[in-house]
Amino acid sequence: MKSREQEYREIFMAEALEYYNAMSRHISELERDPADSEALRELFRLMHNLKSNARAMGYNPIGEVAHHMETIFGLIRDKEKTFTGSVVPVLFSGIDTIGEMIRAVGENEELPAVNRLMDNLDRLVKGEEPNLEDEEQDDDEDVSRKLELSDLVYIQVRKLDHLMNLVGELIIDRDRILTLSKEIGNPALATAAAHLARIADELQYSVMDARLVGVGSLFSKFPRVVRDVATTEQKDVELTMTGEDIQIDRNILQIITDALLHLVRNAIGHGLETPAERVAAGKPAQGHLTLSAQAERDDVLVQVKDDGRGINVASVRRKAVERGLVSAQGAAGLNDDAVRAFLFEPGFSMAKEVTEISGRGVGLDVVKLAIDSLGGQLRVASVLGEGTTFTLVLPTSIAVKGALLFELENRNYAIPLMHTDSVVSLLPESFNVVGGLLMTRIQDENVPVVSLRRLLHNGDGPLSPAQKTDLTGRQDIIIVNYNNRRLGLIVDRFLRQQDIVVKPMSKPLDTIDLFGGVTLLGSGQVCLVLDVPALTRLFLAKRP
Amino acid sequence: MTGMPESEKIAKQDPIIQLIVFRLGQEEYGIRIEQVKEVTITPDIARMPKTPAFVKGIANLRGDIIAVIDLEERFNLRAADQPMPAVSYTMAIEAKEYTIGIMVREVPQPLSIAQSVIEKAPEFIQDVNIHDKYIEGIAKIGPRIIVVLDMLKLLTPTEIMQLQTKATSSAADSRTKS
Repeated sequence: MKSREQEYREIFMAEALEYYNAMSRHISELERDPADSEALRELFRLMHNLKSNARAMGYNPIGEVAHHMETIFGLIRDKEKTFTGSVVPVLFSGIDTIGEMIRAVGENEELPAVNRLMDNLDRLVKGEEPNLEDEEQDDDEDVSRKLELSDLVYIQVRKLDHLMNLVGELIIDRDRILTLSKEIGNPALATAAAHLARIADELQYSVMDARLVGVGSLFSKFPRVVRDVATTEQKDVELTMTGEDIQIDRNILQIITDALLHLVRNAIGHGLETPAERVAAGKPAQGHLTLSAQAERDDVLVQVKDDGRGINVASVRRKAVERGLVSAQGAAGLNDDAVRAFLFEPGFSMAKEVTEISGRGVGLDVVKLAIDSLGGQLRVASVLGEGTTFTLVLPTSIAVKGALLFELENRNYAIPLMHTDSVVSLLPESFNVVGGLLMTRIQDENVPVVSLRRLLHNGDGPLSPAQKTDLTGRQDIIIVNYNNRRLGLIVDRFLRQQDIVVKPMSKPLDTIDLFGGVTLLGSGQVCLVLDVPALTRLFLAKRP
Repeated sequence: MTGMPESEKIAKQDPIIQLIVFRLGQEEYGIRIEQVKEVTITPDIARMPKTPAFVKGIANLRGDIIAVIDLEERFNLRAADQPMPAVSYTMAIEAKEYTIGIMVREVPQPLSIAQSVIEKAPEFIQDVNIHDKYIEGIAKIGPRIIVVLDMLKLLTPTEIMQLQTKATSSAADSRTKS
């Protein structure tokens, strides 16, 4: 906890010092050319940001000074004052004072007294002359003013991405060298390889760590969003946020931004009832929305929870049948979770009627796609009349994924563990053919099974009906799970479980979404990483 | 490599350009050397299911994962009795946004020619397979005819993938729609 506070303070310091430097620059520009509206706008903006940051960190005296300074820059901007005469020295000394205060925070010292400055700023606002006596003696201080460089560096995410890619390649070479050193069997080489492996691991974690940011940096945008949406929708909403300290890769946060915005808007717009409806239903008039983050093993769970009207499973079930997504019989047999999963089907959620009936749904498929692209999972839980919870299961880091390697037609493939339920090895007796599809029972559930070879190399047409006679001997099957649908994939041979560094598919092949990317194995061989969501969709489109 | 012709460009009116010449089917084709990143023996290629046949797959070229394509297949230039030999060569071409490998049957050769040797492709060339917009011109050197290709135009993602959605997965369809 202590260290996180320390980290926040360092970030505040770095930003504040940067603001201070920029302010010093802009005010000098303004002195040279009082009509420089660009510099003025910047000064106003910087003061405003500094004020917000300082107040958020509890450095209220800095916030107060910045607030007063902002007021005067605002007056100058609105042409109610000019940057001339006695205004100039007061504002200069104001910026100097801000610099001193920031430095004092950085060195854990007592903040300098600002009574005189505040008094002068007040006088300026009231249109009185400031008290500028003794101002000259500050000159000594100015000369001894320290030039400081920040302890933090800003770095473009692009550069971190590059670093991450390089580390990814280093990891691949590490595996290669480890493999080679085992083959060669030279003890000195083995020691060097082991050492290299340790350093490479540490480097990888350091780079991953450097990319982590608090979920709070995204959550902090939501109080405003909630307020605005609630006002438009005429709802009364109280927002609670927890777990802002949970760390996650910055790019993941970037990718889920729109998804989260979508879920929050949906929750307020469709999930929560109007105050009158709530009271009629015996609930408090004020709706409650919770944004939370928590770490669970290597994953981060982000939840959007409302206490609104919930999802009407019966009407979703009816709609799914009407839309031909499932037969009436099939729908009757589905459990509630499976029915709610239909909400994420493309097109399904676009239907206006569904939005009205279930109180859910514009573009949930878009949210789903964003989460899929990260190799994450989207879950929904809901109790009719009590509320809905969407859970985003996200990896902490994009680059490294646990994967299951297998062989198909003498080539290696990888499938992310995130979407893998289990692996089984079954004899042909364990299968039934139902409607041209192979089925097997796994944990008391009927799971369709398809030969991955046929699914991938079938050409464009639908799959031909499966025959039990196609199967000879033990079948290695990977059970994948996507959107509550389980599917068994027959592969040639399981290889092993391994952490892989997934590289995105290079252009122009990135339009083929059946593969989430590629990875290089220790042997140097290129290995395709299958995308389970796309594979499931392909199966649904091609099933006989 | 490009420094020399650059300086001569100023000296003479007729600059020398360097081409990398390779064979597709029966004809010789050339591309400007600036567009060729490197030439290597075709590395191990991982075939990608659900891609058009001319996309041979992806390969690891010094840590870069690149797509490798076969232009003979792409443009139907392959004679039935001339399959791609077991050892072929791959030219890594730098297109606008990516690097792509082009598989060729023989070692591509550099060739310096004067810019003026390249003539505009005559109107009557109506090769149905190679659209004339990729053809920068025709170079005639003695008995040899070299078709000079503009790789940057040829290798746009839409051109190279032919964007026949039926050749890709249905999943890819749904993504382009959304």
